[in-house]
Amino acid sequence: MSLQFLVDGTVAGATIGLGAIGVTLTYSILRFANFAHGEFIAWGAYATLAASAAMGLLVGHATPPLGPFSFTWLTLCAAVIAMGFTGGLALGLDWLLFRRLRDKGESIIAIMASFGASMALRSLLEALFTAQPTYFTRALQIARPLGFGLRATPNQMVLVVLAGLLMIGVHLFMTRTATGRGMRAVSENPTLARVAGIDVTRVIRITWMIGGALACASGVVVGLLVQVRPFMGFDLLLPLFAAAILGGIGSVPGAVVGGFTVGLAEAAAVAFVGAQWRGAVAFAVLIAVLLVKPAGLFGRRA
Amino acid sequence: MSLPAPATALLVAEAVTAGYDPDLPIVRGASLRVAPGEILAVLGPNGAGKSTFIKALAGIVPIGSGHVLLGDHDITHVAPHLRPRMGLAFVPQTENVFGTLSVTDNLKIAGDALADRTVAASRMAEMFDAFPDLAHARALQAGRLSGGQRQMLAVARALIGRPRVLMLDEPSAGLSPKLVSEVFRRLDRIRESGVAIVLVEQNVRAALALADRALVLVEGLNRHEGLARSMADDPVVAELYLGIHRRAAEALV
Ligand SMILES: Nc1ncnc2c1ncn2[C@@H]1O[C@H](COP(=O)(O)OP(=O)(O)OP(=O)(O)O)[C@@H](O)[C@H]1O
Ligand SMILES: [Mg+2]
Repeated sequence: MSLQFLVDGTVAGATIGLGAIGVTLTYSILRFANFAHGEFIAWGAYATLAASAAMGLLVGHATPPLGPFSFTWLTLCAAVIAMGFTGGLALGLDWLLFRRLRDKGESIIAIMASFGASMALRSLLEALFTAQPTYFTRALQIARPLGFGLRATPNQMVLVVLAGLLMIGVHLFMTRTATGRGMRAVSENPTLARVAGIDVTRVIRITWMIGGALACASGVVVGLLVQVRPFMGFDLLLPLFAAAILGGIGSVPGAVVGGFTVGLAEAAAVAFVGAQWRGAVAFAVLIAVLLVKPAGLFGRRA
Repeated sequence: MSLPAPATALLVAEAVTAGYDPDLPIVRGASLRVAPGEILAVLGPNGAGKSTFIKALAGIVPIGSGHVLLGDHDITHVAPHLRPRMGLAFVPQTENVFGTLSVTDNLKIAGDALADRTVAASRMAEMFDAFPDLAHARALQAGRLSGGQRQMLAVARALIGRPRVLMLDEPSAGLSPKLVSEVFRRLDRIRESGVAIVLVEQNVRAALALADRALVLVEGLNRHEGLARSMADDPVVAELYLGIHRRAAEALV
């Protein structure tokens, strides 16, 4: 029995976890399921491609790949810029669309609107970049042995580590800073939060920024390891929601653990059962966990 | 003791209308004023609009007409989250702590609204001194506190900003008589420090024993106002107030 699925599952888990943090935060703080979150992932990947191409033109000559990795320092800079851009995109979508519906207290309409926004954003990507997949690099990477018969490429290793650092960073932000405390407070009780002196509008803005930025990071990981295409985020949507619900809505560690659980379960399904069971397995795990812990693994008020 | 002269009133609400639906005001022109070091009890039957009135003063229920003054500032339409910083603190009746957050984080949240971090830290230490029960439970999730501790935490949270006016909605609700007197003793001491207190209460006897003045709200309007002492003995008020209660109770049977 090959344990290689552990590597594939961990890599998938990192991308799902990054995206699920945004889903769980918007769900708990804004109280609606944003089905356009997948599009932030795709837009983040394309924004990174565009920013690194633009920076490449500015630099004027080809930059060599960083060490054993297939990307350059330009890619990393571009990813940081694109994270800001995608955060801004999420903020803009809120300003244009969700803010108005929120003021009317129509959460179900906001959810429907997010479906519409998802389609519009995806079509826009297809119009701008075509539906054809594209790549950060076509360089092939040799997988290296990790022991126990496991193999991983340098890209996979460094991206999982970077994703892990981002997740830890968000967790520390949520637990150690005033803004993070404010976000947790708003997610529990927005009215009491206002009474206690928290600027809820600001908390909502920061939530979109964080969700958008992490979705972009997720898109960059997928883009670097697989490919970039307009549907890349939409295809991740169900695993994202499964991970967020599995972990317990509102919990950042929950989204991360949920992400790795779903990623590993999917990889195991592909390895041992058959690729067609991939999606079903995520839901089997989700249902199994919810039967035992209805509020999710890290859910509040179990 | 006499009614405070208007000049000394710290919080003034005049002819306030407020409600959850603009076409259906619950508070229909109510007024109150409270001076530093004074406790005003707001009484009235169930559904009179006491909670709605106090929430409107805290800024979380929209005000249709009338105005609210805090000192020299017209705060009628000031965003609720800015009010604690201006010296107006509010303790809601239910869900008045963040149950999923630790006791410490509950207090830190109030401290975060202060400009100065070191001040916030020293205020939190003061609160732990003043409420030893909370100090022992500081790492506990607030949702796991007992009813009395929870009420203390809610009051402590409101006090972190050193409010000039403290408004509380039924702080005695659901507490044992022993805890009620403990909460009221705290309020007495807070008043002595010069804070103006607006106390919405169902526990009429205890509230009148503590308060300086009282206001009876009926159907969203001031029905009766006066010194708490004289109101406690006033058969007319007792009949008015308790009579409404008796009828409501009979209607339920
Ligand atoms: N969130 C709300 N949305 C709509 N209507 C509400 C809401 N809260 C209260 N009301 C209505 O407003 C009216 C006044 O309620 P309010 O809670 O202000 O009364 P109260 O004097 O505090 O009563 P009690 O003594 O029972 O606490 C009631 O008819 C109530 O049904
Ligand atoms: Mg009430």
